[in-house]
Amino acid sequence: MPMPSLAHLPNRTRARVVRVSPERKRLLALGLRPGAVVEVLLRAPLGDPLEVRAGDAFLLLRLEEARHVQVEVL
Amino acid sequence: MACPRCHAQATALKAKERWALVGNPNTGKSSLVNALAGADLQVGNWPGTTLERLSAALDLAGAEVELVDLPGTYSLLPTSPEEALVARELLASPPDRLLLVLDAGNLERSLVLALEAMELALPTAAVVNLLDEAEAKGLEVDLAALEEALGLPVAGAVAARGRVAGVLAKALEARVPAPPVRYPGPLEEALGRLEGLAPSRGAALLALLGETASLPQALVRAAEEARARLLAEGHDPYLLALEGRYARAQEIYREAVRRKSAPSSLTERLDRLVLHPLLGLPLFLFALFLAFRFTFALSTPWVDLVGLVQEVLAGWLAALPLPALLRAFLAEGLVAGVGTVLSFTPVLFLLYLALAFLETSGFLARMAFVADRLMRWAGLPGKAFIPLVLGFGCNVPAVYATQALAHPLDRLRVALAIPFLACGARLPVFTLFAFAFFPQNAPLAVLGLYLLGLGVGLATALLLGRVLGAGPGEGAMELPPYRFPPWKLLLRLSLARTASFVRGAGGPILVAVLLVWVLMNLPLGGTIPYAFLAQALTPLFAPLGVGDWRLVGALIPGFVAKEVVVGALGVSFLGPEGVGPLGLAEGLRTLAQGLETALLGTLQGLAALFGPPSLLPPHEPTPLQAALTGALAPKGALAYLVFVLLYTPCAATLAALRTVVGRRWAGLAVAYQLLVAYLLAFAASRSLP
Repeated sequence: MPMPSLAHLPNRTRARVVRVSPERKRLLALGLRPGAVVEVLLRAPLGDPLEVRAGDAFLLLRLEEARHVQVEVL
Repeated sequence: MACPRCHAQATALKAKERWALVGNPNTGKSSLVNALAGADLQVGNWPGTTLERLSAALDLAGAEVELVDLPGTYSLLPTSPEEALVARELLASPPDRLLLVLDAGNLERSLVLALEAMELALPTAAVVNLLDEAEAKGLEVDLAALEEALGLPVAGAVAARGRVAGVLAKALEARVPAPPVRYPGPLEEALGRLEGLAPSRGAALLALLGETASLPQALVRAAEEARARLLAEGHDPYLLALEGRYARAQEIYREAVRRKSAPSSLTERLDRLVLHPLLGLPLFLFALFLAFRFTFALSTPWVDLVGLVQEVLAGWLAALPLPALLRAFLAEGLVAGVGTVLSFTPVLFLLYLALAFLETSGFLARMAFVADRLMRWAGLPGKAFIPLVLGFGCNVPAVYATQALAHPLDRLRVALAIPFLACGARLPVFTLFAFAFFPQNAPLAVLGLYLLGLGVGLATALLLGRVLGAGPGEGAMELPPYRFPPWKLLLRLSLARTASFVRGAGGPILVAVLLVWVLMNLPLGGTIPYAFLAQALTPLFAPLGVGDWRLVGALIPGFVAKEVVVGALGVSFLGPEGVGPLGLAEGLRTLAQGLETALLGTLQGLAALFGPPSLLPPHEPTPLQAALTGALAPKGALAYLVFVLLYTPCAATLAALRTVVGRRWAGLAVAYQLLVAYLLAFAASRSLP
């Protein structure tokens, strides 16, 4: 089974970031780096975008961007 | 010694210094500059309030210090234009001192940037801002431990509330830090080989990560090779650098931050309500509705007062022994012109106040989340929704608000979309015509116009994006925590913005009013230019079903402000309102009464905010409406309304456009607006039998 991405993570489930493609520097800089603990707090109507907690920060991510963040569920 | 735990010597103050503030977005750098230098930099509560380099001067112990407020950044390796500005400033013209601004409530990520900036080996001090927010989160930051861990002087602050004592003293203790991070082996080796070529370890690392701007050529070439080698060995230098910094940041965090109480989940709990899939949107619309209602309920009495002052001045002028033409010029040209500018200010001030509250509280940034889908349809970032929504209140602040968008292309597209949105000033024209021509469906007609404006605006942004080749809008952004804004900050913010409007747009509006007056009053070869121009333009409007030159003529002063369209129609259909001479005492009495009415009206407006919305009043056709229905068929009326909705909103918006997108685009925008207005008005006239 391929590793799930942040886009597939159910709401209110904690996960650890495993890999973010290095071209996605903005995501990395925002705090979505390998090892960070993240949680999808909620999804907008139609499931996009997501509100994600990464460390002490709250982020807004579009689904397309969330697909580039691979996670393992904790 | 103010920093006993620091390693190096403090850097002596020179007679003239430049200090740069560096920190993550939305950590209060601008607030800090404002608090330290008594400046008036724009502050907000969304990431990216500062998009350019701003500075303020400070006189310190006889030295002249320039405080440079740089845009917030997550890293010195830029991922957006405003971040590139930070890297350029620090590398190409290193400041005399670096003030690192850290967010006490999000210290780990703040430290990651701080560690990166420390590698530039500039005299550095740190300010831990937003201590109150950390406290609310149940965190206690041990500043002494932080000083120890960083080897730098560290001050604490709550800049937005003016608590900055000790910051300058610590800044004077700034010193060059020792390299703060040991990176994983392969990266450290590569760095070691480059450091001889680089002005600092930080510059070497940036070169290794692929940065080329503002770095020595030899370094860039050597770094390219080293980078290729690392990648070939399966190491991504960016990820390694991030890993090293985060590891160190976490160590420092553990030493300096203690959890006192369970974290407050205020932001999380509020978000669950505000961003709720079903409740979110209605909640936002309600908040906006309240903001607009607040603005118009409280500003109307003051706008009326401005009108009254104009009348009294005109009356006084009428009593003076002046030539008729000069008197008319002073009363209807100059007084009316200044009055037009002033009548904008209560609306703008209150709208800015409501907006400043929504913005600094963190509410406005959430709107980007709720509206992301709609914005994406137009190829825009979610953030673009904020200026668009403001446009429904008043186009002028909306156009200025586009400056909060990071990408110039997004800024341009949104700024050109905004003039199509039906602002408050267009509503009187809408209601006048809608009730006269479509009495059964008036609210529906007005709503339809609002939606048409939004549709045309979004389509404009979409089209322009296609033509200019915009990439997919960037979505990822940080949602700021909810903050309760200090009222002093709100007042200062809205006053500064209103003043900047008067400075920037006052002149152009005045000139436009005077020009229209000249058109309407100076007889040239027997006819007045206004009637001549209106009659010359009328054949153009015949295909729209608008054949009366007086209707066409009213569109000309409509360029200055849509408010005056109704007035101009009144004058040309019903004749001018006579202004009788007025005695000094009588005028003063009228003014005093007017002031009292305005104050009472404000109180009533405040009370009415919390009452049910007043529906449009039951309505007998006014003499003007009766005259209009005689001059125009319903399909012509619809075309006229569509034209008024879509053509150039007012001189003030035009002035704002010129500031934001430049003279050339502002000129193009006017041509485009006229074309779109004409074509859609034509279509509208054909849509009715």
